Amino acid sequence: MKRRIVACFLLLAGLAVFGAGGAVSALAASKGGKNEVVVYNWSEFIPQSVLDDFTKETGIKVVYSTFESNEAMFAKVKLLRGKSYDVVFPSGYFVGRMVQNKLLDVLDHSKLPNMKHLDPKMLGMGFDKENKYSLPYMWGAVGLAYNTKFIPKGSITKWNDLLRPEFKGKLILTDDLRDAFGLALQAKGFSVNSIVPKEIGAAYEFLRALKPSVRVFDVTAIKQALISEEVWAGPIWNGDFLVAREEKPELEFVFPEEGSIGWVDNFVILKNAPNKENAYAFINYLLRPDVAKRAVEEYKYSTPNRDALSLLPAEMQQNLILVPTEEVRKRMEFPQDVGDALQMYEKYWEQLKTIK
Amino acid sequence: MRQGQLFRVTSIGVTWFWLGVFALLPNIALLLVAFLDKGETDFFIPVFTLNNFEELFSPIFLTVLWDTVRLAVASTLVCLAAGYPFAYAVAKASPRRRPWLLLLVIIPFWTNSLIRTYALILIIGAQGMMNKALMALGLIASPIEVMYTDLAVFIGLTYTFLPFMVLPLYASIEKLDPRLVDAAKDLGASSLRAFWHVTLPLTLPGIVAGCMLVFLPALGCFYVPEVLGGATNMLLGTFIKNQFLVANNWPLGAAASSVMTLLLIALALVYRTVNRRISGRERRGDMFVSGVEGGA
Repeated sequence: MKRRIVACFLLLAGLAVFGAGGAVSALAASKGGKNEVVVYNWSEFIPQSVLDDFTKETGIKVVYSTFESNEAMFAKVKLLRGKSYDVVFPSGYFVGRMVQNKLLDVLDHSKLPNMKHLDPKMLGMGFDKENKYSLPYMWGAVGLAYNTKFIPKGSITKWNDLLRPEFKGKLILTDDLRDAFGLALQAKGFSVNSIVPKEIGAAYEFLRALKPSVRVFDVTAIKQALISEEVWAGPIWNGDFLVAREEKPELEFVFPEEGSIGWVDNFVILKNAPNKENAYAFINYLLRPDVAKRAVEEYKYSTPNRDALSLLPAEMQQNLILVPTEEVRKRMEFPQDVGDALQMYEKYWEQLKTIK
Repeated sequence: MRQGQLFRVTSIGVTWFWLGVFALLPNIALLLVAFLDKGETDFFIPVFTLNNFEELFSPIFLTVLWDTVRLAVASTLVCLAAGYPFAYAVAKASPRRRPWLLLLVIIPFWTNSLIRTYALILIIGAQGMMNKALMALGLIASPIEVMYTDLAVFIGLTYTFLPFMVLPLYASIEKLDPRLVDAAKDLGASSLRAFWHVTLPLTLPGIVAGCMLVFLPALGCFYVPEVLGGATNMLLGTFIKNQFLVANNWPLGAAASSVMTLLLIALALVYRTVNRRISGRERRGDMFVSGVEGGA
C-alpha cells in the first residue's frame, strides 16, 4: 500500500515539475552567445506581430518575458545583477532607482538613429535629464472608468467621488503602489511625489476609507473586471480603457478634477546585458515610426514618437483620451523617485492590503 | 546483485542531489535570511535580528495565517468528502472501466493549472455560465457575486487539488481485501458498520496521504487566491510574494516562509507517526488474516 501511495506521490510531483519546466526553459534560453535579444516588459505592450517582423527582418530571435509591476521587475533585475535581460521597460520613476543601483548602461545615441523621431517635449524628463540611460517608449495616464449601466453618465468627476457609500464592494483599485497612493494624494490635494509623512499618512487614511468599497486589487485584469460587470468603477490606464470600451460601449472615462497620474515607460539597456548590439537594434527598430504606430493602434497608449503619431488615423490623433487636452495635461502629474520615503509608502501599502 | 546496487545508488543519489540543491539549500538560505535585517537599498543586510519573527506575531500576520489555514482545511475536507465516494466507485468499477475512470482524473493535468484557474472565471463570473443559467431559470434577479470572494478561492483550491485526494484514496481502497468486508457482514455487521469498522480504518493511510497532499499545497498556493481572490482576505502565499516583490522586505518574507515550512514539517511528522501506528496495526491484522487463510 505504501508503495502505491509513494508512486502516486511521485506521479504528482512529476506533474508539478512539468509546470515549472516552462519557467526553466525560458531561463535556459536566455543564455548569451546566440543571436537573440532578451526583453523584459510589461504585459500587453508590444504586439506579437511586431516581434515576429523584427525577427524576420534582422534574424535576431526575441526572448520575451513580462512583469506586472515596477517593483517586481526591479527585484528580479537586481537579484540577477542585470545579467539575464538586455532591454527592460521601467517607468520613469524607476529609471532613477536603477541608475542609483548601477544596473543601467549608458546609451550610445549614435546607435539609435531613429530617436530623431521622438517628441523633444518627451525627452529630458526629470528622471533622466539628458536621456543618458533611457528613451521613452510609450506614455499614458491613470484616469477613472465607470459603467454607465450602474452609474449615471457624468455623475462622477473626481477621485473623491469614489468614497460614496453606494460603491461599497463595487470598485476595483489598481494594485500599483504609486498609482494608488498617487490618486489618494491627489484626492487630498497633495502632490503624487509627496515625501511629507503627514501627507502620505492622509493619503493612507483616504485609501483606508476606500477599502470597504474595493472588491479587488488588480493591474492586469482591470479591463476584464469592468467588462464582465464584476465592478462598477475604478482607476484605469487610458489605453486599457480604450481597449475595454471597444468591447463594452457602456464604459465611460474621465480625467478626474483633482488631477491624473501620468507615466512614461522607457527603453533601458542593462549594464550586464549579454546581447548589447542586438538590444540597440531592437530599440532602434521600435523607434521606427511605422513600428511605433502599430503598438499605439493595438494598445491605445500615447506615443512620444512624433512621426508615429502623425501616421495614425485622424480619429485617433483627435481622441482626447489617447491624446489628452492641454488642460488635462496641466493637472497631470508624473511620479518621480521619492527616495527613502518609498519605505513609508511600502509600509502603508502592506498595511492597507492586509487590514480587514 | 551488484548491478542492482549500482542502480539503487545512482537513482537515490540523483534524487538526493536534486532535492539537496534545489530544495534544501534554498530553504536553508531562506532560513538564514529570516534572521537578518532589512536593508534600505539591499534586499537584506548581514545584521542579526529576531525582529522578523516578532513581526509575525502581529495581529495582521496572524489573521493572514488563520484565514489561510481555515480555507486550506475547508478545501481538504470537501476534497475528502467528494473524493472518497469517487475513489471508492472507481476502485469497485469493473477492471475494464477502471483505467478510463482514472484517466478522467488525470486529464485536467494536461492543461496548465493556471489556465484552468482562469477558466473558472468563465463559470463563476458575474456574467459567467453559472449566473447566466441561474438568471435564465429565474432563480436570481441579479448575478451572485462569487468572483473576488473567499468562496471563489475555496472553489478554486478544491477544484485544483481534488485529484491529489482521489489518487491516494483510490490506491488504498483498491488494495482493500473485499473478503474482510464480507467477513464483517457474515458476522452480522450492517454495511454501515462494516464500512466504519473495516473499510475506513484500513483505508486510513490513503485518507491521511490524500489530506496531506491537498492541505499542504493549498496552504502555500498563491496563484489561485491571486486570480480568484479579492481585496478583503490576503492569504499566506500572497503575503510572502508581496514581501519579496513589492514591499521589498525579504527578511520578513523569509521569516513567514520559514514559519510555513516548519508548519508543514510538523504536519509531515504527524503524518509519519499516524502512518506508523496504522501500519503497525495493519501488520498484526495481516497476520490474523493469513492465519485464517492457513487454517481454511
